[in-house]
Amino acid sequence: MNKKSFGNRLIASPYIVWAAIFIIVPLVIMVYFALTDASGTFTLQNLASLGRYKKAFAISILYAIIATVITLLLAYPMAYFMTKLKVSSQKMIMMIVMLPMWMNFLIRTYSWITILANTGIINTFLAKLGIGPLKLINTPGAVILGMVYDFIPYMILPIYSVMSKIDNSLLEASDDLGANAFNKFKKVIFPLSRPGVISGITMVFVPSVSTFYISQKLGGNKTMLVGDTIEYFFNLGPDYYNIASSISLILMILIMISLFVMNKFSDDDGGVVI
Amino acid sequence: MQKENIVELKDISVAFDNETVLDNLNLQIKDKEFITLLGPSGCGKTTTLRLIAGFLEPNNGDVVFEGKKINGVPAFKRQVNTIFQRYALFPYLNVYENVAFGLRVKKMREAEIKEKVTEMLKLVNLSGFEKRSIDTLSGGQQQRVAIARAIANHPKVLLLDEPLAALDLKLRKDMQKELKKIQQQLGITFIFVTHDQEEALTMSDRVVVMDGGKIQQVGTPQDIYNEPKNAFVADFIGESNIVDGVMLKDYYVEFSGSKFECLDKGFSPNEAVDVVVRPEDVDIVPIEQGMLTGIVTSVSFLGVHYEIIVDIGGFKWMIQTTDEHFVDDKVGLYIEPDAIHIMKKSEYSGLYGDYSSYSEEHDLLSEPLEVEE
Amino acid sequence: MKFLSRFYIGLILFFLYAPVLVMIVFSFNSSSSVWVFEEFSTKWYLGLLSDSTMLTALKHTLIIAVLSALISTVLGTAAAVGIMAIRNKLANRLIMGATNIPMMNADIVTGISLMLLFIFIGKLFGMTESLGFATVLIAHITFNLPYVILSVMPKLKQTDANLHEAALDLGCTPVKAFFKVILPSISTGIMTGMIMAFTLSLDDFVISYFTCGHYQTLPIIIYNMTKKSVTPDTYALSTLIFIVIFVLLIFYNMISSKNEAKTTKRRV
Repeated sequence: MNKKSFGNRLIASPYIVWAAIFIIVPLVIMVYFALTDASGTFTLQNLASLGRYKKAFAISILYAIIATVITLLLAYPMAYFMTKLKVSSQKMIMMIVMLPMWMNFLIRTYSWITILANTGIINTFLAKLGIGPLKLINTPGAVILGMVYDFIPYMILPIYSVMSKIDNSLLEASDDLGANAFNKFKKVIFPLSRPGVISGITMVFVPSVSTFYISQKLGGNKTMLVGDTIEYFFNLGPDYYNIASSISLILMILIMISLFVMNKFSDDDGGVVI
Repeated sequence: MQKENIVELKDISVAFDNETVLDNLNLQIKDKEFITLLGPSGCGKTTTLRLIAGFLEPNNGDVVFEGKKINGVPAFKRQVNTIFQRYALFPYLNVYENVAFGLRVKKMREAEIKEKVTEMLKLVNLSGFEKRSIDTLSGGQQQRVAIARAIANHPKVLLLDEPLAALDLKLRKDMQKELKKIQQQLGITFIFVTHDQEEALTMSDRVVVMDGGKIQQVGTPQDIYNEPKNAFVADFIGESNIVDGVMLKDYYVEFSGSKFECLDKGFSPNEAVDVVVRPEDVDIVPIEQGMLTGIVTSVSFLGVHYEIIVDIGGFKWMIQTTDEHFVDDKVGLYIEPDAIHIMKKSEYSGLYGDYSSYSEEHDLLSEPLEVEE
Repeated sequence: MKFLSRFYIGLILFFLYAPVLVMIVFSFNSSSSVWVFEEFSTKWYLGLLSDSTMLTALKHTLIIAVLSALISTVLGTAAAVGIMAIRNKLANRLIMGATNIPMMNADIVTGISLMLLFIFIGKLFGMTESLGFATVLIAHITFNLPYVILSVMPKLKQTDANLHEAALDLGCTPVKAFFKVILPSISTGIMTGMIMAFTLSLDDFVISYFTCGHYQTLPIIIYNMTKKSVTPDTYALSTLIFIVIFVLLIFYNMISSKNEAKTTKRRV
């Protein structure tokens, strides 16, 4: 009946003030910019003109969805197979998977140019076999590859950590109750790993849908994603902050909606039979 | 032995979120006594302990320690120490450092600390365990460390919050004896909280039976058992048959359709009362010699004796006897005057003491570890 | 099946490390090409030592990472303890909701909203150049805080409330009890939070990009380099960072597995 407490609630106040000023107020200012013009008068013009950028939104969402699905398809078996290894090997592989995350993602993305370019490693190799050169760089495929590559650790980690905590006796129980390998997966492993899948999806989808670097480097400036559009306007100077803010606002709302939908999925635990 | 009050609770009331937990509670605790707060979950016994420890302040009333009001004095300044239900040992410190914790806070000299810790560990039979880490100890050993840690500080009062609840039966019995021994050796006041009536009866000088935030009865284990004040106490302590009766006059009571001699007096003529008869105080006799007659409805063999349920005019009595009887036997019952105990009617009248739902009663007795916060 | 699963793990790891490998190989290229490997050379590494822009940026990155990690750890730990003590459910939910925003939101949105705030405040005080060291630091602390809070909070929840009371009971003042008992119990959570904050700060590009002004950190320099043509010195720098982190990680793992071995041994 008594809530646990190890100190005075007042010591949270510096943080609460901080969060108010640097989390809430900036968003309010962003909304303000989105709803005003350069002179500061209220207008819906910015939001009304967003129709022009619907292609950027559509492409961003499409690419992000494709990248998330591919990432999930690659990461899920990886996480599953990892749990079958010896505990010490599991730890080592985890470390190896996490290591690239600590490297600058700009560089990791850039290295792909060396691999994919027309004179890059793959095409040089193909040329020796008398094939190619294939157009690999500056394609939608390259952009999606970049997203998958940059964010796949964020998918492997949560799925693995949920799966590795599945109580072995549950798996034994399902064997005991006569489930075959497929049923065991469908009825036990997958439902239990779902929270990891959900958080993996959000951790890959959000940065993918809002990225602006990957598309510039691997898409060759041809594909303008939402992130690119926002960055472009901000670089044009203060006169364009309003339109940039309105695009950011829509992006944020989009992300919040997708997170909300994801949360709904994770809430009805085990309710849905897949 | 000094017998002055070391702790006094005066008109204490406590409420959490408008729910009354302690209701106008008054209690005097004497110096050097072993007193037990006994009652079911949610009766307020742990809350009472936390008031004395200083983890909680009453909404109303005073906590008095050695004649001085200590309301508002924080826990770390009170001369009492607590043994927690789940021990609350510091997991990152070894046995030695756990026991030394309070002494270090007091900035005692290292040599003194060493001497003290060694002495305490010897007292609880854990010499040689100094360097062991907490998670390598069994439940019973952890319990001993908790005791050593608390008494190392020389508290005037030791508060024990269901300290034995997490131990298995055998260990619990051993620890009961040991705690009693330690209390006598140290000569300090122990305030012990439990929901286990047997534990309360074996260990205590005095027992405080609580229910619904109120004290139901305070007395020696013998008083509590032999002279329960109301149906709640009679039922909570041991097994009781509690029936409605009428006190015809002094030393004369009527229940279950018969009139009995008894040892009680001081009631108004024809006052409605609750009558308690302990199952071991009823003798089964041939029908013609019986003061009451009934039909056996259930028999269980418990080793030392049989427990027999007898239906007397629709009311089920429990009787403990060493003779074997069979279901559907017609039997006579004989009750000595000194086996009859008369209680005034209370809010608990009619709630307890009938064994119609006997098996459920058994489940209640094997109540699991109670976690009261 | 066993072979297949290992093969698959190997394949994914190869995918993860192929670009890293490429980067390392080309950092030793004698020519300035990142396409054609000519000869082995360490000249790019030597060049780094004399590249003052790069070294300044490295210094900036480290300063920001260390400061933001420390400040957010102190602030976040205090916040977690304080939030636990707030009994009002609505207030609690609001605060935790706000805390989640920087983690959930896209970095670009966080970066832009902070930048707008800084410019707005700058205008209020009539400053022409409002972005710089202070704003990057504030931005980094802001996005670090949720990670610290969310790694400390579960540890607090696991901590036995009686431990705190036991310390009070044994004569500690509440403040002393916090430092002697609660802090050691949640220290792993605090460490995890701090390490996460440090690495997040080290690696951040997007939020720094919008809030740094002329105070350039390493990722910003790298971004500017990749805007033009990349020379192997960027790869050399990244290789160095990679090796440092690799060594640190191995070191960290050795310590933690040693600790674990100790506890398992004790339990036996």
